[in-house]
Amino acid sequence: MLAMLLRRIGLSIPVLLGVMVFGFLLLQLVPGDPAVVLAGPTAPPEVVEEIRKSMGLDRPLVVQFWMYFERVLAGDFGRSMISNKPVTEELAAAIGPTVELMLACLIWSIPLGIAMGTLAAMKRGTLVDRAIMALSVAGVSLPVFFICLLLIQLFGLTFRWLPFVGREGPVWTLEGLRHIALPALSLGMVFIGPVARMTRSSVLEVLKLDHVRTARAKGLTERAVVVRHALRNALIPVVTLVGLQAGYLLGGAVVTETIFGWPGVGRLAVGAILSSDFTIAQGCILTMALTFIAINLIVDILYSVLDPRVQK
Amino acid sequence: MTDAATATPAMTAPPQRLPWWRRLLRDRAALMALVVLVLIFAAAALAPWLAPYDPYASSRKVMLPPAWAARGSMDFLLGTDPQGRDILSRLLYGTRLTLLIGLSSILVGGLLGSFLGLLAAFYARLDPWIMRLSDVLLSLPAILLGLALVAALGQGIMPVVLALVVSTIPDCARIARGIAMGIMKQEFIEAGRALGLPDRQLFTRYLLRNAISSILIFLSLRFGQLILIAASLSFLGLGARPPVAELGMMAAQGRDFFLFAPHIAVIPSVLILIIVLAANIAGDALRDVLDPRLQT
Repeated sequence: MLAMLLRRIGLSIPVLLGVMVFGFLLLQLVPGDPAVVLAGPTAPPEVVEEIRKSMGLDRPLVVQFWMYFERVLAGDFGRSMISNKPVTEELAAAIGPTVELMLACLIWSIPLGIAMGTLAAMKRGTLVDRAIMALSVAGVSLPVFFICLLLIQLFGLTFRWLPFVGREGPVWTLEGLRHIALPALSLGMVFIGPVARMTRSSVLEVLKLDHVRTARAKGLTERAVVVRHALRNALIPVVTLVGLQAGYLLGGAVVTETIFGWPGVGRLAVGAILSSDFTIAQGCILTMALTFIAINLIVDILYSVLDPRVQK
Repeated sequence: MTDAATATPAMTAPPQRLPWWRRLLRDRAALMALVVLVLIFAAAALAPWLAPYDPYASSRKVMLPPAWAARGSMDFLLGTDPQGRDILSRLLYGTRLTLLIGLSSILVGGLLGSFLGLLAAFYARLDPWIMRLSDVLLSLPAILLGLALVAALGQGIMPVVLALVVSTIPDCARIARGIAMGIMKQEFIEAGRALGLPDRQLFTRYLLRNAISSILIFLSLRFGQLILIAASLSFLGLGARPPVAELGMMAAQGRDFFLFAPHIAVIPSVLILIIVLAANIAGDALRDVLDPRLQT
């Protein structure tokens, strides 16, 4: 178990390094000489040279990378090139809303997806099964932005039930809940399909196993067989699915946040890229990559805890 | 030599009553999806001849609704966009670009990925290295790669294609490796080895030929996802640059006018939905018919 854990963490290191090299290179794209920018246009050359030395800009690129590496590890991503606020400050303000949105999306879409998949597996081959599978294929094929636009049209503009711009306080307040409803609904729609599909095939797989036959043989009802004996085992692959789909979810979140003006990391990143704010873009990309790697690490560990067969 | 190669036992499913394409055509949903795909591809390929107007030429008739709507005009069948450009013409050109982005990235990524995967299965020595590499590539989701590459290279189609290619490689390598591992255990590989065939011939004639249909199925299922990612990036303004027509970008242009002129955003979005849906349905059916083992 420990060996597997260490190996798994070891695998993440080259990725992290790669992402950091990328972040560093991105900062090299910043137009202009940072020392000149800092000193001001009228500063005499000696002062510029002084600043350049103090910032380490005269050192080789490798040394500069090492300095960047140390700064990032210490949590210093530099300052925004537009607002001049520290990148960490902007990121800190954006991470909360993103996590909130993702949780609000998962909390309704995963249980619904599992329920739909289980139902489809129980009614295999019937109209119910085919309808659920057709729905999930349609769900996977819908562009996220189209779902967002349709939901805005329906609930925001036609019925005027829900607001669709920005975030208004935390979820536990009524206004906060009303504001998160549409983004969370849109983002969750793309997630139900894969969960339902995975649950269905996984339940069908488990239904073939011996212990299910035993459960059937002792006269349990089909529902008891599925819910108590099959579903529990079938849910293990669904856990990995969440890890595998985390990237998909992230992509959806970037689009959803941008459309609904949700102040999260995705919107921050898109805005920064469009306005060439390289420092913010670098910070967002590093943060998102880190989160993604961490999610997959946690899922892998969870997987081996749930299914001891995986530990080699 | 060639005799040995042609004598390769087929690794396909056990004999069934109907050939695979007959079974595929019996599946009505799959048949319809295939027809739709062929039509869309043909329309996209023939865009310069089919388009009634220049996709970049604007007219004074701004945001005209489609012909069937009350204020619509038969001159512009699907209406015009905020710049007064003919939506039908832009749609044809936009589909062309969107499909081109999807196809080129799936081809390049699929080729590199499956080559690496087959190599890993064929040479056990290379396996850990290739799999490690694919683990590294797999750690970054396509959309993040896209954001990063666009940040570095500026907005445009190339960074998007690059991101899609790079994200296809590890997935495809894993699938190809899994398929190839199964084939490598078959007796005919050992027979080929016993005959003293050179590695290159074993690889191409024995391994590649038997693995290729399963790999193609995987790629066909992946195609829709790539189209969706490309469209999303374009929608965010990070992909194709105006005035070029691309479906995701066309949808984005209609977003601000959604209240008065919903057709500008809805038409390209629905077309994306149709393309991806048809690709997914066709891919699913192809898999069920050709290679039920791949079923997930």
